[in-house]
Amino acid sequence: MTLSFFDQFMSPTYLGIPLIALALSLPWILYPKPTTRWLNNRLITLQGWFINRFTQQIFQPLSLGGHKWATLLASLMLFLITLNMLGLLPYTFTPTTQLSLNMAFAVPLWLATVIIGMRNQPTHALGHLLPEGTPTLLIPVLIIIETISLFIRPLALGVRLTANLTAGHLLIQLIATAAFVLLPLMPTVAILTAVLLFLLTLLEVAVAMIQAYVFVLLLSLYLQENV
Amino acid sequence: MPQLNPAPWFAILVFSWLIFLTVIPPKVLAHTFPNDPTLQSTEKPKTEPWTWPWH
Repeated sequence: MTLSFFDQFMSPTYLGIPLIALALSLPWILYPKPTTRWLNNRLITLQGWFINRFTQQIFQPLSLGGHKWATLLASLMLFLITLNMLGLLPYTFTPTTQLSLNMAFAVPLWLATVIIGMRNQPTHALGHLLPEGTPTLLIPVLIIIETISLFIRPLALGVRLTANLTAGHLLIQLIATAAFVLLPLMPTVAILTAVLLFLLTLLEVAVAMIQAYVFVLLLSLYLQENV
Repeated sequence: MPQLNPAPWFAILVFSWLIFLTVIPPKVLAHTFPNDPTLQSTEKPKTEPWTWPWH
């Protein structure tokens, strides 16, 4: 069986245990629960600052009704950024490269924002389908376009995260393979490729954090429209 | 692409939501943030006597 570059994304199983289960359950060891002491250790303090500042940043533009989502979105951010960053280590599996996982989060959360908007303020929510100042003749066309763009949102949300992470991992594997293969043949080129690999890994670290942030930010924006 | 394989998708959905709902929010909520310490002024607060009208 020839190995293709996409095989790194197959949900691996070892001794009957799907490794995605381990990849999803073990990272939370890195987040110890804060004690009831006034002063915690450095790790917990830093994590607390991160959660606090992040929640403040995301919920500042939201009206009070949306603040109920604070726990959910903070947990989601923690979830995504941990999974993304840990996936950059060698021999790890990144669950967020699986489309099923990303859609599993994108669709229900987006649907929740839409339903909240439709139940509490239906006129306001439907008003988003027609931008202000459209010429009268364009109104039907624009409503169709806006409805399509509304329904594409969960797809875009899920696929954006999947594609970014998958592409990143694929590039890392490709360039690492190139550097490895070139080493006995053309060492100078191999070293240049290794430098490129290093820079790419730095980019992937940034992408991992940014994509997690963008996911949660977009959800908060969809919530903002409907709350 | 193996990600498009629908076979374990439901298991992944259930398991990831399970972890997301049970493990993470308790850890997030356990972080409490005390109020900022305020500088205590050295002046003692002026206490004005107040006659409480009971009737």
